[in-house]
Amino acid sequence: MSALRLLLAAGDWRSWAVFRRNTLVFARHWRTAVIPPAMEPVIFFLAFGLGFSGFIDDFAYRGIDINYATYVAAGLIAYTGFGTPYYEALYSAYFRMFYQKTWDGILSTQVELPNVVWGEILWAAARGMVNISIVALTVAVFGAMGLVDVRPQFLLFMPFLGFIAGCAFASFALIFTAIVPAIDHMNYPVFLIGWPLSLVSNTFFPIEPESPALWALMQLNPIYHLAECARGLLVLGDPGPHLLGLVGSSVIWLVPSTLLAVRLTRRRVLGH
Amino acid sequence: MTTAILEARGLTKRYDGRAVVDQLDLTCTQGSVLGLLGANGAGKTTTLRMLYGFVPPDAGVINYAGRRFDQHRSEVKRGIGVCTQDDSLEYDLTVEQNLLVYASYFRPRVDNLERRVAELLERFGLAPYARQSPQVLSGGFVRRLLIARSIVHTPTILFLDEPTTGLDPSARLDVWELIDSLRAEGLAIVLTTHYMDEAERLSDDLLVIHEGRGIARGEPHRVIDDVLGDHVVIVPRNEPAREEIAAWLRSRGAHEVATVLGELRVPVSKEDLVALTARYADATWQVRPPNLDDLFIALARRNGRFE
Repeated sequence: MSALRLLLAAGDWRSWAVFRRNTLVFARHWRTAVIPPAMEPVIFFLAFGLGFSGFIDDFAYRGIDINYATYVAAGLIAYTGFGTPYYEALYSAYFRMFYQKTWDGILSTQVELPNVVWGEILWAAARGMVNISIVALTVAVFGAMGLVDVRPQFLLFMPFLGFIAGCAFASFALIFTAIVPAIDHMNYPVFLIGWPLSLVSNTFFPIEPESPALWALMQLNPIYHLAECARGLLVLGDPGPHLLGLVGSSVIWLVPSTLLAVRLTRRRVLGH
Repeated sequence: MTTAILEARGLTKRYDGRAVVDQLDLTCTQGSVLGLLGANGAGKTTTLRMLYGFVPPDAGVINYAGRRFDQHRSEVKRGIGVCTQDDSLEYDLTVEQNLLVYASYFRPRVDNLERRVAELLERFGLAPYARQSPQVLSGGFVRRLLIARSIVHTPTILFLDEPTTGLDPSARLDVWELIDSLRAEGLAIVLTTHYMDEAERLSDDLLVIHEGRGIARGEPHRVIDDVLGDHVVIVPRNEPAREEIAAWLRSRGAHEVATVLGELRVPVSKEDLVALTARYADATWQVRPPNLDDLFIALARRNGRFE
């Protein structure tokens, strides 16, 4: 299958059949699937955003003074937009592939392996949308209470921005899902890649690298663009150049990651 | 004349330069069961995986109802049902949802899906569990559900990979009945099994695979005759002349001398049997027709997996 056909498989009915399967399973126990994971960023927001706000003076963001809680609100949306699809495509996909043999069952039908990979990517990104919505709702409540200063109408855009980046993060995670020998080895992509990456992306604190090489690397990081895009919209109503950066960097991650994930998953699941 | 649903010619698969399946030919016709038999590592599962599209063959052609699989993959897969050894049921869904979701992986869509699912639940004895998770099912009923799921889209051919492994005798018989009824309805079935009685009773045709090659094929009894000969002599462990008889039979060309729990089992020709009767009339031994157990043991010994 050519690379182009493989990428176009995202729109194939078979990829969406896998997506619907995951949706149905999710709907069966959505309470346990949504509430505990979505509480993590909310607790982060309470602990760091509101907690630290009392110790940190307001600072200038693109010419406007904002408090730290407002800064972190956008960062947590980005963190959720990264973490949810990333961990979904790592742990949940691994369970479906390895323990539950769900993919084996699906692959004995008309659904092909690229469809399974795309179904997982789209599903993980959609899960990100769900959790971002909960965080956005929380931010809206704190906004109404005067604890953060955001433009609430722009919170509606957050899940969709998260979906774009979520596809990239999920495809990247599926590379590890295809190669880790056992679930314990997930610690490597989680603690050595995911966690550090989510911290150095203008989520909880601003980073302004002076080195051109580091600056260029940041431009390739969708979490950074997601955080800045969300922040720009929520504070100023203007995403600035980061909307383009978000789409561009997400595509740059998504295309090679998906191609590699399909190749590695084929080797893992089908043995060739 | 029966219609060939599946025809494979020159099927070959190599891993690391070694032919796991080598120039295999096979045919399965409408309303018949083709049994694939062989020792562990003989190439049965790889053959099956090539036939239902999990792995591409390195050489050879697979046709379904005259259409090349590699050229009409999606259309052909619409007519294939697969029931693998592994339990890949959805334990987060109900029994009924398992069937509905599996059907959603096929286009064109299954006609009257709700009715089809209800029929299958009824027929496979699963209706009382329709709204429950497969976790409540016994091993036999799990297997029933797996088979029901594999035919929910009304395929024309069904692959069953060791369908009764791990089941108790009663559940095995139930599965046999189901397979028999599916065959009677015209479904072509390709079956792998380690149970000799299962292969013998269910298969219309047997293909014996050894080191990736088909070494015997045809009706079960004919296959046994081709590989083993006419009779099997059994010499009990307490017969004093046991070793002498074995050596004598070997000297006459009997190579498949197996020892099972101390007793000798030796496939022999009619001529050897007559000579044995004349020479060892006073010794204690029995004779019976060969069965698939003998065939399996012989294949395993050839493969170096049974001593």
